[in-house]
Amino acid sequence: MLSKKLTLFQAALLAAALAVVLFPVFWILMTAIKPPTDWNASPAIWMPSQPTLVNFKTLFDPDALKEYGVGGVSQSATKAVIGSLLASITATTLSVLIGLFAAIGISRYGAENKSTPLVILSGRMFPPAAIAVPFVIIFSNIGLTDSYVGLIAIYVAATLPFSTWMLKSFVDDLPREIEEAAMIDGKSRIKAHLTVTIPLIRGGLFATTMFIFILNWSEFMFALVLSYSNVSTIPVQLAKYVTATAGTLYGVQAALAVLAMVPLVIVGYLIQGHLARGMTFGAIKQ
Amino acid sequence: MSIPKLELVSLVKEYNDGAVVAVDGIDLSVAPGETIALLGPSGCGKSTTLNMVVGLEEPTSGDIHIDGLSIVNIPPGKRNVGLVFQDYAVFPSMTVRQNLAFGLVVRKKGREEIARAVDEVAELLGMVGRLDVRARDLGGSEMQRVAIGRTLVTKPAVLLLDEPLSNLEAAARLAMRRELRRLQSEIGLTIIYVTHDQIEALSLADRIAVMHAGKILQVEKTSLICERPDHVYVAGFLGSPPMNLLAGEIRPGVAGAAGPAFTHGPLTLALPAGCALEKGSYTLGLRPESLRLAPESEAPLAGTVSLVEFRGGDVVVTVDVASVKLDVILPATERPAMGQSVGVDFDPESLVFFGGDTSRRLDASPMGRPL
Amino acid sequence: MASPPGPTHPADAPGLSPAAPHGGGKPPRAKGGNIGLALTLPGQIVSILVLVIPLLVALYMSFTDWSPTRGSLFDAEFVGFENYSELLIWDTRFLYAVLRTLCISAVCLALEFAFGLSLAVLFMRRFRGKSLLFSAFLTPMMILPVVVGYIFWMLFQSSGPVNQILEFVLGPDVALEWFRSAPLAVTAVIITEVWHWTPLFFLILLSGLNSVPENPVRAAVILGANPRQVFWRVVMPTLKPVIIVAFVIRTMEIIKLFDEVFMLTRGGPGSATETISLYIYKLAFNDFQLAYGAAAAFLVLLGALGLIHLLLLPVRNQLLEVKR
Repeated sequence: MLSKKLTLFQAALLAAALAVVLFPVFWILMTAIKPPTDWNASPAIWMPSQPTLVNFKTLFDPDALKEYGVGGVSQSATKAVIGSLLASITATTLSVLIGLFAAIGISRYGAENKSTPLVILSGRMFPPAAIAVPFVIIFSNIGLTDSYVGLIAIYVAATLPFSTWMLKSFVDDLPREIEEAAMIDGKSRIKAHLTVTIPLIRGGLFATTMFIFILNWSEFMFALVLSYSNVSTIPVQLAKYVTATAGTLYGVQAALAVLAMVPLVIVGYLIQGHLARGMTFGAIKQ
Repeated sequence: MSIPKLELVSLVKEYNDGAVVAVDGIDLSVAPGETIALLGPSGCGKSTTLNMVVGLEEPTSGDIHIDGLSIVNIPPGKRNVGLVFQDYAVFPSMTVRQNLAFGLVVRKKGREEIARAVDEVAELLGMVGRLDVRARDLGGSEMQRVAIGRTLVTKPAVLLLDEPLSNLEAAARLAMRRELRRLQSEIGLTIIYVTHDQIEALSLADRIAVMHAGKILQVEKTSLICERPDHVYVAGFLGSPPMNLLAGEIRPGVAGAAGPAFTHGPLTLALPAGCALEKGSYTLGLRPESLRLAPESEAPLAGTVSLVEFRGGDVVVTVDVASVKLDVILPATERPAMGQSVGVDFDPESLVFFGGDTSRRLDASPMGRPL
Repeated sequence: MASPPGPTHPADAPGLSPAAPHGGGKPPRAKGGNIGLALTLPGQIVSILVLVIPLLVALYMSFTDWSPTRGSLFDAEFVGFENYSELLIWDTRFLYAVLRTLCISAVCLALEFAFGLSLAVLFMRRFRGKSLLFSAFLTPMMILPVVVGYIFWMLFQSSGPVNQILEFVLGPDVALEWFRSAPLAVTAVIITEVWHWTPLFFLILLSGLNSVPENPVRAAVILGANPRQVFWRVVMPTLKPVIIVAFVIRTMEIIKLFDEVFMLTRGGPGSATETISLYIYKLAFNDFQLAYGAAAAFLVLLGALGLIHLLLLPVRNQLLEVKR
């Protein structure tokens, strides 16, 4: 399109939209650094009277949490943070690894199962609460209930379509001739992929890994229904605070929310050029 | 409707505040009903020129007139100038009919008027049976017709064609070239035609303007331009093979010659008597068509045949004269052997000299006529 | 996973990209068939173990009257289509959850599309700081749904900033109880969802706009079209496949809307914001009607597949074409 300059009116629209987009982010950041006296102020206080990091400390201190005298939330967030890291990192690594194999297989050898798309589609569109039920049954029979192994297995399966198709689109972008040159050199096919294909798509590999991490880190429903006492993740912990305290623990909850979102937003900015590709299974490349 | 005249007056287009000069002061006058070809290599500024005429780009300075009236301040859609893109740029999701009607629909013309105009143009272009086909399903030359027709429907005063044949396959290109000639004669439009292909320019245009580095070097009738290149660049660009160009000097009495002689490295050529050129540096041009082979003893130049290329109707022979390679076009009946020693002869009148500093052609004889 | 937008039909999707994939032509099936199979095997195994088997178990379960209090699933009584007929004929709560989800989805998608397109069009203009602003506008979709739900839960408190702003603009009497009134709760859910996912439409539509070929647009300008005509007659038809992709992806996700609503309202007040996912969740984990919940889930799956199919229908030809 013929590129024109922004008019004043359009600039104003853009500014208004920016305010709407950023205000909620501003609010959660401010709440996270509000001292307890500001939490329940009515009308709400926009900027903390005395910015503090005490909420982040409280989050990891069971005794401090008890002091607020709210039942059921004596559990510190330590376990949830460790749980989220453990589940997300392991599941992401496995998903990307398995997805990478599959991506090369599909892109270079046409190993595409005709029924795969339907299975994936059904798996994705099946309401998660309902697919969680068979997991509860199966896991209780093989002793995986309330275990990270079970949760990670689900995460891998749920993100596998994303990692496979996103990576496939990166492999597709790579001219075949480059690998073929390596194969003529006498290297075996697998070796050619290891030494040529994978190093050449490392940018895409990074983007995919980060994208899958975002998906796993954000997951809520499965963690909610498959965790009891052993397993916890940040989203589940956040939901627990809301349930247990009717949300009155504003500052502490906000601190946890900030802890949960900051890594994702940073990772998101890093790979923003590839977000559309990830979200659309490689259909839209930027 | 009378056919309008188009004039470009000292047209300049600069980018990045003058750091890049795409078009460097062009003057061109296109007569009513004339087809003029802007010929030049890619990047010479010919497409930028078209964009300015059509209004997609604003000139940095200079003016554009249609029938004496400046159009630079008129928006592109109202200039009455049509442009056909190299890649046709048809609207892929529309049918041929919708494509053809587009210019009238957006001007909110009446339904009957649109239908009539579309039918008329479809008739002219032989697309009557294809009106309801989606444009994306068309072949290259059909898209080309749609692109032209879509423009003709708006009855432009001037039609601009940007490399209209270069995206077509060879056979389609030949057919389309004939088609364009027919349209030209039937509609009698004023046309500017941009191309890098001299055959296209030679076969379609009344006159050719050769562009190089943002400047027009020469505007000449198509029938004359190959014989009378005005500039070293034009001489080296036109013709197949182009003129043999030898950069050298004219000095008086070299190597025992009576009068002044032209030297180019080891090669020396005595100039005919009456040559009005002073001593200095020049470029000598020898048209391959005006050279002929002759027995060594009778010819001013002698060498060996290093390449023989048959082209059907004629033969291009490359003769190494000392270290200089000269292209000679001979009738197909003459077939010298490779490595054969031959003499090269020419009519002194066919010699062309270009100034060593100006690169412009010089009249070498006192009478103002080329030697 | 409930949070991120899911896949479009993977078989259709990869062909859509404007630049034809270089290596994606004809894979040499004959040469490397075994290698290809071996490479995809781990993925196939995971999919079968963690997707196909649970789906089959759920399918079996949906034809029984099983509930965890009644012992093993395989001892449960087979009841045929009883769960399905109950759901379709008698369960008005299910019907309302479906209709409610569809309505919320329709409104959300329409708004997300409108805002996303407007933003994308503004981003086609030239201005300074564009790349910074681009990142800023993408921020919401990078935040996890649970956190988004929590943020907006705070914003919509009766003494929260949204009410403060409304009172500042409309006068001091507008003390809205967002989570106590059905229409307001639905509005809050929609606002949250639109804020969260408009960036995805923006992102997809902007990349679509950027890949609209320039010359047809220029041709339209030269033929006399004004900017509005150029946009609606030339640009939008080119964008159609991209728009459909955006809608398909969002539809698949919003049908499962859960996280944000769970944090915001838990489906309340009453069942005013109870989405399909929330209803099934409550059936399974509050009322322990697991078999019944599974049947509901399969009905939803069938409906959603049908809906996606309808969405893809108008561009099927176009998708195939680009693929060629």
